[in-house]
Amino acid sequence: MITVEHLTKRYGSHTAVEDLSFTVEDGCIYGLLGPNGAGKSTTMNILTGYLSPTAGRVSINGHDILEEPKAAKACIGYLPEIPPLYTDMTVGEYLRFVAELKGIRGKAARAEAAAACAARAGLQGMEGRLIRNLSKGYRQRTGLAAALLGDPGVIILDEPTVGLDPAQMIEIRTLIRDLGKTHTVILSSHILSEVQTVCDRVLILAHGRLAAQGTPEELAARLAGRSVLQVTALGTREAVLKAAQGVEGLCDITVAAEKDGEVSLRAAVTGTQDRRAALSEALGAAGCPVVALSAGSVSLEDIFLQLTEDEAAAEEKPPEQAAEEDAPAPDTAEEAACEEGPPDDGAAQSPASETGGGAPADAAAEKTTGEEE
Amino acid sequence: MLAILKREARSYYTGMVGYVVWAAIAAFTGLYFTVYDLLSASTDFASVLYLCSIILLFVLPALSMRSFAEERRAGTDQLLLTSPVGIPSIVLGKYLAQLAVYAAALLPACVMPLLLRCFARFALGTAYAALLAFFLLGAACLAVGTWLSAVAGNQILAYLAAFGALLVCYMMDSIQTLFTSGSTLAFVVFGVAAVVAGVLVGILCKSAVAGSGVFAAGAVALVVLFRLRPVWLVSAFNAVLGALALFDPFYTFVGGVFSVQGIVYYLSVIALFLFLTGQALEKRRWS
Repeated sequence: MITVEHLTKRYGSHTAVEDLSFTVEDGCIYGLLGPNGAGKSTTMNILTGYLSPTAGRVSINGHDILEEPKAAKACIGYLPEIPPLYTDMTVGEYLRFVAELKGIRGKAARAEAAAACAARAGLQGMEGRLIRNLSKGYRQRTGLAAALLGDPGVIILDEPTVGLDPAQMIEIRTLIRDLGKTHTVILSSHILSEVQTVCDRVLILAHGRLAAQGTPEELAARLAGRSVLQVTALGTREAVLKAAQGVEGLCDITVAAEKDGEVSLRAAVTGTQDRRAALSEALGAAGCPVVALSAGSVSLEDIFLQLTEDEAAAEEKPPEQAAEEDAPAPDTAEEAACEEGPPDDGAAQSPASETGGGAPADAAAEKTTGEEE
Repeated sequence: MLAILKREARSYYTGMVGYVVWAAIAAFTGLYFTVYDLLSASTDFASVLYLCSIILLFVLPALSMRSFAEERRAGTDQLLLTSPVGIPSIVLGKYLAQLAVYAAALLPACVMPLLLRCFARFALGTAYAALLAFFLLGAACLAVGTWLSAVAGNQILAYLAAFGALLVCYMMDSIQTLFTSGSTLAFVVFGVAAVVAGVLVGILCKSAVAGSGVFAAGAVALVVLFRLRPVWLVSAFNAVLGALALFDPFYTFVGGVFSVQGIVYYLSVIALFLFLTGQALEKRRWS
């Protein structure tokens, strides 16, 4: 089990990871999802002890990465974004070297472990090849085989499928799925569909913070498949908002535009029911005649982009202010609140804790939320 | 540590560096040995090594330059630093591999005194003591180079920095003679050192007060010394320069003196720079 508590990493004045907390349970495949520069690689480098955090704690199977680095590192197999290969060695030599590095004793035992891991990573017959001459796909496999050596309980893979052709991608994904049966796997990716197909749990990072977490199904249910209503009504911003918030089954209500006494709202529908009539009625009853109303659906990509981009907007203003502007802000706060009912001011704190609260099925999420609140 | 040592040593010979270093050292020791000892019928083997010592300036940085700079470029330091191996083992493994390659290059030189012995009777001990000092001198150069490789971002920079540093050490004798004139120069140099120390402390502690404090303390001490005991200042200055003269203890051996002090000096230099290498690696993780 990996516990990450309030992890922060700063490079000079730039903050790569800020106050990140999560728990990784044994025997699952975790996906770290986020756009480039979200802090995925930094997080992984800290987990594996390559970088030291500015603040916060990482413990791997109960071993603190700073206090007991050897014990902690022995539990981890790491494949960085660029596989750390010595190009002047052959695959076999390299794997035997890594085996020795990981403390496997005895020449025969090392050769055996290297051969077994090479076979597992699909490198049969490649042992004699110079790494320099290998294709990207085989280099990735060699790195993966090296990560598997020494039988670590946790395998950490940083963007394992980047730069591979589609066939290789599928092979590597199958391999990761296979690994997930015997190991805890953490992989990072900026490809949404990949994480969705491979991972049991997803952590979405944006701008160094945890934006959401849960199983892909939960996230998909929460984020995608939801229809969106766009309505324009006459009246004041407050009146229109109040009326819309009174409608059951709507969440994520945001003011899209406001002009000449017309207010355009965007609201997500939580259930499968059509809420157009209810919304229209509610607005009419509140004295805000509807002048336009349309329905559409949101893709997972849209929501992912929204989630990660909104983080940037939220980051620019102080949290208190963000909380005050709760309702109109297209914040992840509403994402969470929508499953529990209309958003209220009390529910809005940091985006991470919000979304954590929105995934009741996820024990890890619950824990994170508890700590942050 | 053993794994890193073996891999590192092997990689020196899968590329050209190992052979080039071997060839250069063997060629120059052989050449000088032939000319100075065999052809001129002399038994003075230490002088051969003395003449060869300048070769180390060019050759050894080529061994040490790649040690950490190359790992960093290729990203393989990620493998080492995330493996269950401590930083001391990594540094030691890499350093010992360089030492092994250097020692292999000295093997032909080991035979040379025995060859001389066939023709004349002379003290073998002096010759081998000089060889030992030559080896330790090279080992100290490698330690300096390893540290610079860990600090500098790339190999070429590491080579140039190591060459420059060793060159200054090599010429320290002549530099020292330039600086013996008067205590004012020593005062100025120590003053500059105090400023640098103050600035460094200020930056590292992120406190202007600490930095100014260090500088003020240094300045006061300097002024007091300069007023009361200017001679101390000069001798302290010379002692500092003397400590930087990496080649001096070796010359003592060449002169036929077995100097324990010299051996301790080289071992201390090695330990200091390997420690600094470890710190440089550690620092990179934190910045």
